[in-house]
Amino acid sequence: MDAFGGAEVRAWIDRFIANVLDRTGELTELDRRAGDGDYGTNLRSALGRARVNLEGAEDPAAVFTAVSEAFLNTGGTSGPLFGMWFREFAKAFTEPVNGTNLATAAGNAAAVVQRLGKAEVGHKTMVDAMVPAAQALRAAAERNAGPDQALHEAAAAARTGAESTEQLLARRGRASYVGEHARGVMDPGALTVAMFFAAANG
Amino acid sequence: MPVRALLNDPDELVAEALDGFARSHPGLVRANADPAYLIRAEPADKVALVSGGGSGHEPLHTGFVGTGMLDVAVPGAVFASPTAYQVRAAIRAADRGRGVLLVVKNYTGDLLNFGIAAELAAEEGIETRIALVDDDLATESEDGPGRRGTAAVLAVEKICGAAAERGADLEQLAELAARITTSARTLALATAACTHPGESRPSFELEVDEVEFGVGIHGEHGIGRRPYGSARELTAALADPVLESLGLTGGEEVLAIVNGLGATHGLELATVARELHEHLAARGIRIARSLVGSYVTALDMRGCSVTLLRLDPELAELWDAPVRTPALTW
Repeated sequence: MDAFGGAEVRAWIDRFIANVLDRTGELTELDRRAGDGDYGTNLRSALGRARVNLEGAEDPAAVFTAVSEAFLNTGGTSGPLFGMWFREFAKAFTEPVNGTNLATAAGNAAAVVQRLGKAEVGHKTMVDAMVPAAQALRAAAERNAGPDQALHEAAAAARTGAESTEQLLARRGRASYVGEHARGVMDPGALTVAMFFAAANG
Repeated sequence: MPVRALLNDPDELVAEALDGFARSHPGLVRANADPAYLIRAEPADKVALVSGGGSGHEPLHTGFVGTGMLDVAVPGAVFASPTAYQVRAAIRAADRGRGVLLVVKNYTGDLLNFGIAAELAAEEGIETRIALVDDDLATESEDGPGRRGTAAVLAVEKICGAAAERGADLEQLAELAARITTSARTLALATAACTHPGESRPSFELEVDEVEFGVGIHGEHGIGRRPYGSARELTAALADPVLESLGLTGGEEVLAIVNGLGATHGLELATVARELHEHLAARGIRIARSLVGSYVTALDMRGCSVTLLRLDPELAELWDAPVRTPALTW
């Protein structure tokens, strides 16, 4: 497939929501060991609101706007950051979604989260999966890879990035308060980002 | 004996309280249920003031919506920031085309959500400025998040609110807020911790011969335990670091806020106020204006905070200007 239309984007988001809702227990457990344990609850309420907002959302920008608004109406700090992250996808996507606007969206989105969250790669946050995924999408776009292939590579990069957080000592975010206790625990925000890109290809 | 709160459902407490509060002050304010905010009943053609933060600090901020203070207050869940979505809705509702001053206490979540809402509002053509309030000496440090925002936020809302009513523009209000924050410091102590709604045990236990010194307004531990003592001794322990930090000397005038943390009786607060007058008078510093009562609370925490604001004639005059809100009226 050379381009994603509204239906494909909607299916991607629906798979993402379903996969995350299936694993909120696991995400909460990670946050309990490395944060304050409210991550799964906040995520579940954001995704519940997203499902309501998604009623009737058909084009790619509308789908991502629905998800963004739901996250912006979520407590904690990861909720609003995800809201601003998804918002950049809504802003960059025109139908159909191709490799170029995927790369633009993910690049802008990672930059917004880094700026607002004041986090760099290696701080054991969601940024550790967002930045490598954006880089993979940029590299794929430069060799004119289709969106399927680009998102496949982004998913692998995000997964590797998320796994790298296991051994990191947190510098930002909730896990920074518990120091060494969080070493060995994957950052649940980074894992969520990996799940987002993994959901793209069914 | 466990603590028992008057509530229906802990998850509905903030929404139900907002509804009850608005119904109790129908001429002054009205509530928007979703997204939740409280707005003054009669909007005015001026720069709007919006503040908010976690619930559990009442009457802050909802009690200060009205003429001469806030246009909109945005309550989050108990001790949690309101969402960016809520704050954006509040900004839209408050704006009269002259811009919006966002009064934000210094906490990571509040700054993030108000900051995001400000960016979203800017894309819609609404100009905002963030007035960051960071007065709590207990958390002063070179690195980290720095001083928390506590009772001085009340002075920022009152004084900037008065200036806004007189037609000050957004830039002037932002400068005024910065001047107030620079001139104000606070320190607090607790004689008993608070209990979260729906829970039955307080957030920490104290022995009868100690107080928790340097507490904030979220039921967390302070910076250390100190021996319990007389009101005179405890007032001096709070006032001295504040005096030193502000560099106050004989001949100067201050606004003093003696603030109860939620479950402290008026008799105790008046006693602390008396000791503060004595303590400052002995140093030649005059309390020219004062506010004594429970205004910036931490649920049912027992204890108090002492805030001093160095006054100049302009700040004193704006403090005296008329105000008509549910919690503050003169």
